[in-house]
Amino acid sequence: MDEKLPPPSPHEQEQLLERDRISRRSFLMNVGLAINAAVGVLLAVPVVAYILGPVMRRREYLTWVDLGDAAKFNPGETKLVSFRNPFTNEWDGETANIPAYVRTAAPGRYTVFAVNCAHLGCPVRWFSESQLFMCPCHGGVYYADGSRASGPPERGLFEYPTKIENGHLLIEAGQMPTLSNRAAVRPCGEQSQPTLVKRIAPCPGTDEPTIG
Amino acid sequence: MPWYRRTYDWLERRLQLEGPIKDAVLHPVPKSTASWWYVFGSASAVLLVLQVVTGILLALVYSPSASHAWNILQVLNQQVPLGWFLRAMHGWGSNFMVAVVVIHMAQVFLFGAYKFPRELTWIIGVFLLLLTLGMAFTGQVLRFDQDAYWGLAIGASILGRVPWIGGQLVHLMLGGPIINGATLTRFFALHVFILPGTLLVLTVLHVWMVVKLGINEWPMPGRLVRRETYIQEYNELAHKDGLPFFPGAAWKDAYFAAAILLAVAICAAIFGPYGPTGTPDPTVINTVPRPDPPFLWIYTVLSYLPPEMETPFLLIVPPIAIAVLLGLPFVAGVGEKSWWRRPVAVFTVMFLAVCWASFTHLATSTPWSPKMNAWSGSPIPTAFLEHRTPLERQGANVFQEKQCRNCHSIGGSGGERGPALDDVATRLTEDQLIRQVLLGGGNMPAYGSTLSPPETTALVRFLNTLHPNYQPAASDASRAVAEQGGVPPASTVEPGNGQHKTQ
Amino acid sequence: MRRFGLVLLATTALSGCHMPGQPQPGPEVPRPEAVMSFAQLYGENCSGCHGADGRNGSAMELANPLYLAIIDDAALRNIITNGEKGTLMPGFGNAAGGNLTDEQVNALVSGMRAKWAKPNVLSGMTAPAWKASHPGDATRGAAVYAQACARCHGNTPQKPGPAGSILDGSFLALVNDQTIRTIVIAGRDDIGQPDWRNVMPGRALTDAEITDLSVWLIAQTPPHPGHPYPGTQPLAPHTR
Repeated sequence: MDEKLPPPSPHEQEQLLERDRISRRSFLMNVGLAINAAVGVLLAVPVVAYILGPVMRRREYLTWVDLGDAAKFNPGETKLVSFRNPFTNEWDGETANIPAYVRTAAPGRYTVFAVNCAHLGCPVRWFSESQLFMCPCHGGVYYADGSRASGPPERGLFEYPTKIENGHLLIEAGQMPTLSNRAAVRPCGEQSQPTLVKRIAPCPGTDEPTIG
Repeated sequence: MPWYRRTYDWLERRLQLEGPIKDAVLHPVPKSTASWWYVFGSASAVLLVLQVVTGILLALVYSPSASHAWNILQVLNQQVPLGWFLRAMHGWGSNFMVAVVVIHMAQVFLFGAYKFPRELTWIIGVFLLLLTLGMAFTGQVLRFDQDAYWGLAIGASILGRVPWIGGQLVHLMLGGPIINGATLTRFFALHVFILPGTLLVLTVLHVWMVVKLGINEWPMPGRLVRRETYIQEYNELAHKDGLPFFPGAAWKDAYFAAAILLAVAICAAIFGPYGPTGTPDPTVINTVPRPDPPFLWIYTVLSYLPPEMETPFLLIVPPIAIAVLLGLPFVAGVGEKSWWRRPVAVFTVMFLAVCWASFTHLATSTPWSPKMNAWSGSPIPTAFLEHRTPLERQGANVFQEKQCRNCHSIGGSGGERGPALDDVATRLTEDQLIRQVLLGGGNMPAYGSTLSPPETTALVRFLNTLHPNYQPAASDASRAVAEQGGVPPASTVEPGNGQHKTQ
Repeated sequence: MRRFGLVLLATTALSGCHMPGQPQPGPEVPRPEAVMSFAQLYGENCSGCHGADGRNGSAMELANPLYLAIIDDAALRNIITNGEKGTLMPGFGNAAGGNLTDEQVNALVSGMRAKWAKPNVLSGMTAPAWKASHPGDATRGAAVYAQACARCHGNTPQKPGPAGSILDGSFLALVNDQTIRTIVIAGRDDIGQPDWRNVMPGRALTDAEITDLSVWLIAQTPPHPGHPYPGTQPLAPHTR
């Protein structure tokens, strides 16, 4: 392939000279390319902004949602409720109906858990008989107060901030809870554990045996 | 001259495609490549065409609207004539395509076909594999049902573990704060335009390079690849001991392509389309999401990883794996091609295959998940309740009612998260049972705050009957000694399961 | 061969022949509240404790025609929906935090009747009412127990009879007077517990005797049932 080329013939030398002469055209071509590059960059700005749209307006994704009359939640019970996500369109259909668990530990003391498992977001199910949340995906289990009981989750259930206004229970919601937006892993033991567990196993999140 | 000949000539004079096509299909290839082992690449391409065709046909009806997609799939399944069959073809075609692409990759790896000068062919192939997997995942999303919804939730949760920009990535993936219409439309764009477009372009490049660089010769032990001499050696093989690709080697490709298409059609006809399962309504909590077959192994890995290793694994291992695949031809670009002299390569493939098979198999029975309906839906086998005292029967009620059954099986039914309890009494004494139930431990929640003393007593009495006839229940020797005033008992054998209990 | 297979496939497909893969009518996974089949509802929600066919479970036999004859639909609905206080029967209705709608509870009740109820099961006799009509007298109940129950269940929890003790504190704490009344009247033929006609040698128990008996039995529940060391106080108050 790489054979040695013979020296340029007179005809070819003529062509080389010609190439130099048309450098004006090649200059114009280069300018044309540069203009296209500039226009491309200019067009890329709105395109990138369009693609990043969902990210750039993320500050707006939290707002207070009314869960209704707080009196309808009986003390000692954990109840599954659902609300319409505040950031939604008509064509979202039923995907915008977001469930949550309202736990009423004592009269007036409400904790609202997201149904998403803190492991990988599957829907945990509440079992009032055993007072446990169980996850159907990878087997995460949580106690009634949302703290981790067993399985792969690193932390307890996600909680929505709550407040009471005019007798109504409000939660600050609007986005799917993941480790990145509610990631503050509570130091173990800070959350109230079931009394018996707290006494014997100060940190049920560890793999240490609870006794002996 | 017949009319079709004249038409052809008229077209050919304008298109001038005959020359390049003839060059491509008639180019000589080494005789050894006319092998049944070389059919998987062409089969992948054929399956890609099948997917494009069935995909376009489905797109005639489908609408990427979160409030309608599920209903449209129902219409496709129930009302559009043979709509179910096309859905099934597309779904099974996807499974077959992932499988064939992976087999093709393993074969290329084992035959050393990624070595000089075919490095770029391999690299593009790696991207083709990733794109194929991407198509499988985005396709699962378009089947907008419960599994799709919660599959997205899992995907978002994984992205949410990325440090610093996790939250932004989640919103970028979902197209908003939650899984909703915007999520579906962007996955639609990915599945229908972006990924298949890239896939087709890269496939053309991939095939182009196969034609230009020649089909890899059958590796012979000792015939080493050297950059200086390989091309010359290959050309000698192809020209002196070769045959034209068409029909010399292509007939096997054609047979296999037909067989694989027929297999897809038969699977589609027998097993039918995938889902859709329940509606994508997150308020329906009673759901057990499962990933599609190509991702079952990930499901297993995520259940068995220790919690502290999970985020590093999810975020670090995939880039490393891809980097290893991409770097392979640069690290091992020359030298031995034959699997006879590449034991590490062979064992790597075998190891990965065994891992994949066992993980996938595990994911079909999900022993790590509680069986959510076992407590109310799995009866205790009669043998375990015969001749039981009223208290022990109440203990069985406690066992069911407190959802113990969701994680512990009895008589082969129930959850497998915890150990089966058919003979738990032989392993734990009464006191140990009480301790285990109340305090949990070993990945079992503590039930101390949910079980009343009578419930605990009843439950432990029931559990204490769970031992086979021939083996006594475990008992605490010191307790018996204490009860009998320091005299060791003559025998600790108790009546077993199914026997009358006199106490 | 290949052509033959394709032709076969195409003809079966086009002739509208039912292929095994063709989806059944209706969604593959209906919404949970849309499930109305008794077999599925019973199988998923009840069979765990009440047995696969309503028999041989750890809890009350539901395939018991006597039981179905004495209890009315409203009471059955109430128990399924809200559970039975004082026992291990949880509420399955939406109102009680369960998964079943009122229609599904109705489907369960009518399904149980359709499947397991038998006409003329009482063969002319009048069974005692399912619900006790008056408070009952515990002292008379003790005598009924000694006559009718002690043969099989023993006189004290320490000396149980062949059928096991029902005087055990933990057992009594997990049942209520209605449980006892129901099982005394209807019996459990799957595990050999006779009904109210055959408990007492020679004659059937009267309504008043059954009421007295259940009151007396429940009164035998100790103050700290199930405590392994009755002499000591519990370590911590239970959060239940």
